[in-house]
Amino acid sequence: MLFEYAIVGGILLGIFYALLSVGLNVVFGAQKIINLAHGDVIMLGGYAAWELYQTYKISPIISTIIVVPITVVIGYLLNRLIAPRLGKSSDPEMLSLILFFGLSQVIEALSTLVFGNAERSLPINSIPTAPLKLFGESYPADWWVSALVAIPLLAIFLLFLYRSSVGLQVRAVISDSVEAAVAGINARRISGLYFGVGFALAACAGVWGVFIFGGVSPTEGPAITVTAFAIIVFGSLGNPIGTLVAGIIFGIFYQLAQVYVPSWSNLVPYALVIATMLTRPQGLFGRRQRVA
Amino acid sequence: MRTKALLASAAALGVTLAACGSSSSSSTSSGSSSTPAAPAQITVGTTYSGSGAYATSSIPEYDGIKFWVQQENAKGGVFVGAYNKRIPVKLVAYNDLSSATTAATQYNQLITQDKVNIFIADFGSVLTAPAVSLAEAHKVVLFDQTGTGIPFFTPQNKYIVLCDLPVSSIWPDVLAKFIISKKIKNIAAIYDTNDFDASQATTLKSDLAAAGINLSYYQGVPTSTTSYGTLLQTISAQKPDAVLEFGYAANDTPFLQNVQSSGMHFKMVFTVFPGQLLGLFQQQVGNAGLQYTYTYGTNFYVNYPTVTEGLNSATFATDFAKAFPGQLNSLSLDGYNTGLVVQASLKNAKSLSQADIRAGAMAASGNMTTLDGKFVLNSEGAQTGELLPVAQLFPSSTGITLKAVYPASQATGTAVYPAPGA
Amino acid sequence: MPKTAEIKTLQNTGSKTKTLISPAIATLVPVIGFALAIHVYSNELLLTYMAIYVALAQGVNIMYGFTGYLPFGYFGFFGVGAYVSGLAMLNYNLPPVVAVIVGGLGGALVGAILSPLFRLRGAYFAIGTLAASEAIYTIVANPSLQSITNGPYGLNLANYYSSGMAYGSAIALVAISIIAVSYVRGSRFGLTLKAIRDDPYSASMAGVNVPRQRFYAWLISAAIAGMAGSIFGWATSVFYPQAVFDSSLSVLAIVFALFGGVGSVWGPTIGAVLLYSVYNAIGISNPEYFQLIYGLVIVLLVLFAPRGLLGFWNFFAQKIRRKRVTND
Repeated sequence: MLFEYAIVGGILLGIFYALLSVGLNVVFGAQKIINLAHGDVIMLGGYAAWELYQTYKISPIISTIIVVPITVVIGYLLNRLIAPRLGKSSDPEMLSLILFFGLSQVIEALSTLVFGNAERSLPINSIPTAPLKLFGESYPADWWVSALVAIPLLAIFLLFLYRSSVGLQVRAVISDSVEAAVAGINARRISGLYFGVGFALAACAGVWGVFIFGGVSPTEGPAITVTAFAIIVFGSLGNPIGTLVAGIIFGIFYQLAQVYVPSWSNLVPYALVIATMLTRPQGLFGRRQRVA
Repeated sequence: MRTKALLASAAALGVTLAACGSSSSSSTSSGSSSTPAAPAQITVGTTYSGSGAYATSSIPEYDGIKFWVQQENAKGGVFVGAYNKRIPVKLVAYNDLSSATTAATQYNQLITQDKVNIFIADFGSVLTAPAVSLAEAHKVVLFDQTGTGIPFFTPQNKYIVLCDLPVSSIWPDVLAKFIISKKIKNIAAIYDTNDFDASQATTLKSDLAAAGINLSYYQGVPTSTTSYGTLLQTISAQKPDAVLEFGYAANDTPFLQNVQSSGMHFKMVFTVFPGQLLGLFQQQVGNAGLQYTYTYGTNFYVNYPTVTEGLNSATFATDFAKAFPGQLNSLSLDGYNTGLVVQASLKNAKSLSQADIRAGAMAASGNMTTLDGKFVLNSEGAQTGELLPVAQLFPSSTGITLKAVYPASQATGTAVYPAPGA
Repeated sequence: MPKTAEIKTLQNTGSKTKTLISPAIATLVPVIGFALAIHVYSNELLLTYMAIYVALAQGVNIMYGFTGYLPFGYFGFFGVGAYVSGLAMLNYNLPPVVAVIVGGLGGALVGAILSPLFRLRGAYFAIGTLAASEAIYTIVANPSLQSITNGPYGLNLANYYSSGMAYGSAIALVAISIIAVSYVRGSRFGLTLKAIRDDPYSASMAGVNVPRQRFYAWLISAAIAGMAGSIFGWATSVFYPQAVFDSSLSVLAIVFALFGGVGSVWGPTIGAVLLYSVYNAIGISNPEYFQLIYGLVIVLLVLFAPRGLLGFWNFFAQKIRRKRVTND
């Protein structure tokens, strides 16, 4: 009974966690940038949802769509600003880690000045409230609604990446930017765009984080970043599909831990990272192309 | 050659260290001593969390202190018994950003650089911890506002005074009695694994065990937990007659939200913070999710019309709301009450020496009633005044009303058990 | 990754005696500086923490500066040190200074246990250590281990409190960490590490035992963090697990080291002293903009001075030197 509940609940939550982490992997994708401000972008998405609902009574479901173009543009501009400088360094991956840590501090500080410290949450009736009845159990409304919103979003993202011409260019740049340039692809612009898509996915997740995390506050970012990291490493860096599967597996593990060993449940992401790294560093779905 | 150079530097280091050790040990004792002439001002030093995890609680508490300072300075200062006159108060406050490490250096700054007369810690146990030994070593009285952690209070430490709340380990005593009085047998408790919550859960468990009641579910969860759906499912499988959740505000909120959104109904749900931050909970959980929930009724919801020190409950509520709009809650009352404890200590103290200030606080113990209730200290400086009553949230015309329901001596309403609903 | 080649060439051009004296100066100047500072500025705890940060930045330097492995979870060793030494005092009544050394050993032991993480490189290693340290925190703070670690209730070392002794120990640790860096940098061991960083394949072909040397650097680095944590716990006296297992400790140590410039002896010392002073100055005078300014400093640093302050210095020094060479 409880086991089945944890599995189904884990899948529902896992879909949300997949959305939560996939943006981090996308940002890593083209230029090997480690976005330690990922959780802060998610937090900003949450505040966007809050403002849109409180000021204009816009449903969070609609807000999920509204934040996309805005964050793509912001991400794109940011990328064009920093990528050239990072590229000049001998170890851009490591430097990006530190740069984005600084950025995360700046975002956190500005958010505190603008939004204040208090946690903000949205009323549960801002989204459908009926619990999901499945196999005789009922699951919280925010779990199934967020999963239901995340699934089409993730599907559109995958279609973009694997079935559109821009997506083809993205994949070309990821696999070999020099060759892509030879083929006439503007690698910088394509990388910037893909980076922006990563930001947008994070912001979408942020809208639903307000419900899943019970609210949004300026300091929530770093903890989310670490969880997202655990998931993308588990599913393989650079492989978005791996992240989706990893997110769901993470959700299930986490819920099982809450049922059977609650006080140890926050070990799940860390144990997942360490176990993955030591036994299969390339992750669940990684090819051995990158010696981790 | 290389090793020689290293040895030489090591030797030189030893000499320097010896010199430094002897000098710094002499410079550590900078405890204030009384001066015959009245000082121009009384400096009150504290830290607050301008951002970070504790900001929501720390800022209103700090505003409470500021309000007290304003009140006293408007009268020409705080009354100091040793000089039989009012002396203006100067408040020195640093922002510790919710970091215990930053708070530690700022506490030291307040003691060693600013040489404050009155030393007040920030909100909560985590931020109070680094002040405890520092105050003891410098022989400065630590006015501990809401740091209710057990490790702070030891028989040999004479330099700590807990102002506004009883130690957390005795909070659930009344709750346990309430449960026993209602003859509730099947109880589930879930707590966060931090000092504040775990100590409450432990006390509750042993109180109930003494009455022959065992908990059917008793689990700790990480303090970072914000999703309770599956945990609630596990709890609900035990079919408990009462569900108790000990967390911080950031845990209680999603817990109550999850109870509501999963469509569950329990005969009794208890969480810690609605009684301290009711306004916040109304915004975040909504009145529907709060009704008939139990919580600790803080003195903020108890009316003390006659007090021996400071403003009474009603006057405080109106005056404070005027001075700091939107910050009136039980924590701003705590901050103001800290000021009142300081005020009483200064009134009773024979001199401005720290030992006399502590003696002043002890003299107030048992003889003072404020809007926070009776002030009683034990020999370790811990508050053992009136215990927090069990309160319940009732639906009302204004949305939600908190009423103390147990013990009878403090009750302003009657408990509704089991809670009506689906 | 910062290049130390320029610094190396600079130093190697000096006479033989100069390379021997310079580590002594690099050690003594901060030690004497700290010893004198207390007479000028009596916030002893702030100075103790500053010394601890200098040691931590040097510990990061040994790891990152010479091997290129960034220990993002450095705070794990720090927390372990604080707990091991604290429990050594409470359970075995060890004198604090001995307990600090035991805490260092505890840090090194955990370092040895975590050494399989060396299978990972770059960002993987950084994140792997972070996850490991968070896991250690979860274990130490878990109520199931209350009988051993006191779980979430933290430790109270008030009976062993001695701010002067703790400060002296912190200064000694600064010296130890700088001597360790000088040693690592100048020894065959250090040259090996540099070879590893520049080209692991040719280094291992040249008969250098790459993993073993890196493992030693890791142990030294972990022991420094363990001792730093021990002194921190002792000086703070009453602490909860979250205060010593605080990821911002490693972040600050890394930023300090990078700000000064890793791979050098002076860089991390200067970085930690300067930035920690700024940290406290802003924190005390202008708190609401504190985090903002701090974040901006890091961003600008990475974008415009990725090799830290010493990078700047060497850039100019080299220019002057070239000028001199041409003048000759």
